[in-house]
Amino acid sequence: MKIILSGPADRPIYERLKNGIKAQIVSGELSAGSMLPSIRVAAKELGVGIITVKRAYDDLCGEGYLYAEQGRGVFVSNAGSAALAQKNLQEFADKMLALKQVATALNITPEQAEKIFREIWRKD
Amino acid sequence: MEKCEYGLDKEGLTVDLGNFRLDNITLKVPRGCITGLIGRNGAGKTTLIKTIMRLNAACAGRILYEGLYFPEHEEEVLNKIACVFDSPVYGKNARPKQIVKYYRRAYKNFDEEKYNALMARFSLPHDLKLSRYSFGMNKKYCLILALCQGADILLLDEPTAGIDPFDRSAVVELIQEFMQSENHTVLFSTHITEDLDRIADYIAMIDGGKLKFMEEKDELLNSYRLVQVSAITDEVRAVAMGIKSTPFGVTFLCKAEDVPEGASTKIPTVEELFVALTEQGVAAAPDGNPFGM
Repeated sequence: MKIILSGPADRPIYERLKNGIKAQIVSGELSAGSMLPSIRVAAKELGVGIITVKRAYDDLCGEGYLYAEQGRGVFVSNAGSAALAQKNLQEFADKMLALKQVATALNITPEQAEKIFREIWRKD
Repeated sequence: MEKCEYGLDKEGLTVDLGNFRLDNITLKVPRGCITGLIGRNGAGKTTLIKTIMRLNAACAGRILYEGLYFPEHEEEVLNKIACVFDSPVYGKNARPKQIVKYYRRAYKNFDEEKYNALMARFSLPHDLKLSRYSFGMNKKYCLILALCQGADILLLDEPTAGIDPFDRSAVVELIQEFMQSENHTVLFSTHITEDLDRIADYIAMIDGGKLKFMEEKDELLNSYRLVQVSAITDEVRAVAMGIKSTPFGVTFLCKAEDVPEGASTKIPTVEELFVALTEQGVAAAPDGNPFGM
């Protein structure tokens, strides 16, 4: 498998690695039960520290997206992908709610907001 | 890390070279990890590495390698440690095919197969004089020799100083390949290059012959912020380090908890942290301990 970093470059690498793995779980590229590369292999592939990768894996295990089997490796958990997709939607909805309040304060109509949003999307 | 044992343990190491002194340095280098040693030129990085290799006699303190004390078990320990110095130690007229003969005799675990594979991989000719090797080729060659000694601990003095980015990435790659074994440990001194710093797990900083700190890199960097503000207040000045004024505003380094409200911040790189701490005169801090250690 390919391991990726995702998110702004000024964020800590372990955070970007976590985001990258989460994104691959959501997209289905990493399906439930698939094994991740060992910590040392991943560190080498990404050119980052061993502890950095370990921290990302440990965090994701703690959050339930991955699980570790002693002596075998680290795997994507069943619950991970569905829960993550749901959580991402919720997180996005929360951000939109905050934006809606800004829009209301600035007298921006839903139509205008939608137009701006689509425009940003298109340019990206 | 998985194991908390130390690959290399230097207890209260003191070296006195007359005009230069390493002062009571206690550095524990964790096994299975990469530790980067940072410090200005003349801070004591090379002296420390040479002392570990017993090229300088320590006048106090001991070096412990997995429970074996250095002076008493010199042969066992030296067989476990490979070192690449900042300047080549072979004569310019030597050719790799002659040098390797010596290595075969000197190191009972010398891995000839790996040696030949690495020479081929980096297109290093066996019968060319080292004087005809480029600077980058020489650096790679010294590293390859060290990697093939069958050592568990690799000490590297400025492994990427003066070489181009292409050769630098080869060096980084070789170090990370070596680290595929959990029993391997790397300590390198660095001239602060981002690719090398990225692979370090711990950062140790020495200044004026003293160890200033030794911390896990991610935690260390994450505890500081590089801040940009339009103007600086006296309150901010009290917590700011390495303040730089530009026509567009002021940038400085501070502890993450001291970031002024609403300021734009980012996590510093090793280089940014190093420059700001050095400018701040870490050595001159009143309690000598600005890191809460």
